Amino acid sequence: MTTYKSLALRGIGAGLVAGVASALVQLLVTEIPIRAALAVEEAREPAAGEGHSHGEEELVSRGAQVVGGMLGVIIVGIAVGLVFATAYALSKRWFVDRTPFSRSLALGAAVFGAVALLPWLKYPANPPAVGDPETVNYRTALYLGVVVAGLVIVWGASWLAERLQAQSQPVRVTAVLLAVVAAVAVVLLAFPAPPDTIPADMPVAVLWQFRLSSLAQLATLYVGLGVVFGLLIDPAARRTKAAAKAAVA
Amino acid sequence: MTSPAANLSAVQVPKWAFAVALLGLIVTYLVLQENGLALGAGSEMLHEFFHDGRHALGVPCH
Repeated sequence: MTTYKSLALRGIGAGLVAGVASALVQLLVTEIPIRAALAVEEAREPAAGEGHSHGEEELVSRGAQVVGGMLGVIIVGIAVGLVFATAYALSKRWFVDRTPFSRSLALGAAVFGAVALLPWLKYPANPPAVGDPETVNYRTALYLGVVVAGLVIVWGASWLAERLQAQSQPVRVTAVLLAVVAAVAVVLLAFPAPPDTIPADMPVAVLWQFRLSSLAQLATLYVGLGVVFGLLIDPAARRTKAAAKAAVA
Repeated sequence: MTSPAANLSAVQVPKWAFAVALLGLIVTYLVLQENGLALGAGSEMLHEFFHDGRHALGVPCH
């Protein structure tokens, strides 16, 4: 794996696999609370008329939204895979003493933490029927702000680990962990609280089933990307059984 | 064993790699965020089509 092109192609392949896996989680898991939330939304239909159309005069049918949603996740998987491969190719200090598989897995886990888990903790995902259309741009800005902050933390942790190269490994790891925890705490405290209230007609069970499904799906996408990309780029993963036996002997 | 560090420095990242990465970010934006800023009228269709995916990936929506 010595050319950018070979890495990029594997990033696309890994993104496709992770995207399909995440889309299947969506179909089988996340769609259940989404259906429940849409039922809540439909129950208030007479009072409706605001922006979003799930009801009669819908722009896209429900069936198309289910398929489109899955397709969207797969497209995002491929696009993120491409960005991931580029970041991997550029990373000159990210766990340089590890195997390509370990590096990829660690990068996938870090990206999950930065662009999925951290925003999920601060601004938990909301199903349909929650969210004021008036505040969507504000909420989007806050969400993207946390994503950027998360990526800066990952980059900073990698930078700090390199700066502390002279320290012993336990000291280095402890220092980096403390710095990450402190930075995450600052982000969680500094960003304003989510602006929307949860409507009274949204059952808490549906809300949290949706949020956990969403988190599972994000983990599938990003950690899956790290695993599959690692498998595709690590020569050790393609070692034949004969070679493995020879290596053991 | 191969030396991972040696593998690393061997990767040459061409300038167009940044364009490729940018393309990836733009596609992600179009699928997850397009609210009419970039595509205007066509965006509502796109927005509704990818609706479930956007919710499921935790992106703020309506």
